[in-house]
Amino acid sequence: MMMPAGGGGGGGRGGGGRSWPSTTSVSASGKRIQKEMSELSFDPPPDCSAGPKGDNLYHWVATLFGPPGTPYEGGIYFLDITFPSDYPFKPPKVVFKTRIYHCNVGSSGDVSLDILKDGWSPALTISKVLVALRSIFTNPDPYKPLVPGVARLYLADRVKHDEVAAEWTLRFAR
Amino acid sequence: MVSDSIPNASIASSNLRDFAKKKRANRSAKLKQCKLDARREQWLSHVKHKGEYKGDANGGVIASIGASVHLENQRSQPICKLEINTRNDEGIYVDGSSTHHYSDSDSVQSNSPTSHTSSVSGSNDSAANFTRSSRSSSSSTNGSCSGNMSEEDEGDAGDDDCLDDWEAVADALAATDDKHKDSPSSKNHDHSTESGSQVVASDQMFSGINIPRIHTASANSESGRTANRRALINCCAWRPDDACRPQTLPNLAKQYSFPLKSEHHLDRGSVWVRKNVGTIPTACPICVEDLDYTDSSFCPCACGFRLCLFCHKRILEEDARCPGCRKKYEVEPIDGEATLDGGSLTYRLARSCSMVARS
Repeated sequence: MMMPAGGGGGGGRGGGGRSWPSTTSVSASGKRIQKEMSELSFDPPPDCSAGPKGDNLYHWVATLFGPPGTPYEGGIYFLDITFPSDYPFKPPKVVFKTRIYHCNVGSSGDVSLDILKDGWSPALTISKVLVALRSIFTNPDPYKPLVPGVARLYLADRVKHDEVAAEWTLRFAR
Repeated sequence: MVSDSIPNASIASSNLRDFAKKKRANRSAKLKQCKLDARREQWLSHVKHKGEYKGDANGGVIASIGASVHLENQRSQPICKLEINTRNDEGIYVDGSSTHHYSDSDSVQSNSPTSHTSSVSGSNDSAANFTRSSRSSSSSTNGSCSGNMSEEDEGDAGDDDCLDDWEAVADALAATDDKHKDSPSSKNHDHSTESGSQVVASDQMFSGINIPRIHTASANSESGRTANRRALINCCAWRPDDACRPQTLPNLAKQYSFPLKSEHHLDRGSVWVRKNVGTIPTACPICVEDLDYTDSSFCPCACGFRLCLFCHKRILEEDARCPGCRKKYEVEPIDGEATLDGGSLTYRLARSCSMVARS
């Protein structure tokens, strides 16, 4: 299993055309994000890491390790996290940069996770988001799928689904 | 307090030398405390002194002692300490000069180079004599000094008692002066040392406060003094919600104090009721800014999730859901008793939660 290469490796492909507030912003969101950053470095959730991609506090890269016992075991998944300027009142945007065969992760990497949409609460943190993301590795939600074909296979033939997922892990996530 | 004279007829010269040595050793500690007191006085300069300005020669120090901060929860411990100190003093003096020669600070030393050592010859058991010697600025004692040092280490606790002690000493002096006039033993005192500079520092008062407890001769005035001290405790300490409490005082005191039982009834039905379980966060979990007093007494949701007023307003402008439980904020203030679905359980919860509230 290969080690994660630095912060900006993986599928990091830049942050699009949107301009984000600078790191030196003294806004409430900046202070909040900085606190979350220090808490993450102090007490990171298991098999996760996250931090700013560059000098922009609002653009992070997160790394998730595929949990053991799942078809994603051994895979390293990179995610882009972008904080809106009105964070934490609005949820952060999380995009998988590593391809994954998962019914809740679209082909473009977008994630269907309740807490990243309507279920968001300002009391949530990136640390909790990472834990939730990690939990969809072990427990996909085929009833609210982003990729219906994967969800159908998951419900119909779990073994086949796991085989494909493990193959994708081997191909894309190592 | 003006003391007329200090008798010093029969003091042993060896004692004098010992005392001088001790004084020298302790002087730095005393100076340090004087500085601390001065700083404290500066700090509290806007708080009116409550009339315990009794020193003449060393008024500054005394005033600063008088104005020292009194936190109610610091009280009991130093008082116990004082009793220990006094016992030490007693032992030393009974062994040394076989006279009751109490206490007395040596911060005098800087003002009065000649060591005033007043000892009482004869008539040792008279309360008047005892008080007299304690009033005189005489030799320092190891006991009082070491106690003083340790109290400095422990913060303001030791100093806080000075005010009370001053009052008690003043009362004791007033009471025993009267007795002294009638006492035949007063004739034994010749005033070999005129203690003009009469500096009485804090540790002198330590033994002063304990005089009545040890010597039953002055027990009749003890109750009055004790009451006086109690009154001082009540009137001098700043309550956390005291209007004249300095802003610079740490907020810690608030957390120690328990709310009055009536508070729950007063606040019931308002959105400001504290019904949170567990600790109150010091910073808003949303914006990470520190919660001020208004924020920390603001509990907008029955789930107990606290946040600052700014974030609350902002959330109200958007989806108006509590970040803690994701339920809609209710427009009407939430009452613990009035919660319909909770019934008696909710009511009990609200009441028990009010115990953790800050006053």
